[in-house]
Amino acid sequence: MASDSQQDSLAEKRWLHALAKGDPAALGGLYEIYGERIFRYAFRMLGNRSDAEDATAETFLRVLRRSNELRADAAFRTWLFRIARNLCIDRMRQHRLLELPNDAHDNGTEERTALKITVQQALSDLPADYREPLILCDLEDISAKEAADILKISVPALKSRLYRGRRALRDKLGGALEKVL
Amino acid sequence: MNRELYTKLVDLYAGYELPAELEDEMIVAAGNDPALASDMLTLRAAVDALQNDQGPSFTEESFQRILMKLYARGVDLHTKAPSPTHLQYQLPIQG
Repeated sequence: MASDSQQDSLAEKRWLHALAKGDPAALGGLYEIYGERIFRYAFRMLGNRSDAEDATAETFLRVLRRSNELRADAAFRTWLFRIARNLCIDRMRQHRLLELPNDAHDNGTEERTALKITVQQALSDLPADYREPLILCDLEDISAKEAADILKISVPALKSRLYRGRRALRDKLGGALEKVL
Repeated sequence: MNRELYTKLVDLYAGYELPAELEDEMIVAAGNDPALASDMLTLRAAVDALQNDQGPSFTEESFQRILMKLYARGVDLHTKAPSPTHLQYQLPIQG
């Protein structure tokens, strides 16, 4: 039986083919596959739900408007994340976002809940060069190669930023981390 | 293997990128080197904390609000998800 990711890949191909033909159901299908991931990515980049919803909607609007740019052999997910990233960066430039995530909730112990909030805060405090590889590779589970493609940097540069970002995050977490060790 | 090399491998250890044999070797080396042990332990804990983060929840409300934003921009979007209740019935105020 096909796994979820294989089924998503087949559905993605079907919807992209339909999008090229102008089928109005295509964007809805792609939104159902990728909407949640793009929303989560945007939330982590922007730090609040409202901006993340706006950025997600705008991302899919651009997919529709720029669908003629998408080649049949291109990696749709990489292209999609690149659009979302550019929109998030534009939004961050427009207004410096200081609001911290307010709907962090966890079913774990008090220490782990505190750590989760602290992880999100620490992540928000990191420079974008470090934050982006952490979001893509450690949180979204995207390969180093694909993350490098999304960020338009080489794989060694991506890995260097990822490792430095992890160390910077560790330093920011400090005491919160010691409580769960 | 010398200490300098182990220090360089800590990033790979923390990210679960080392082969099992080399990881075991590092753990043994860390037994005699508190600074190396601390670096390995805290960096891996930071990676675990990140990777275990469930992230923001994509609620039904968010799903529908994004759809509404797209409808408002003139996109004729079709999804398998049921329409929100307030769009399923024509209210008198809508004529």
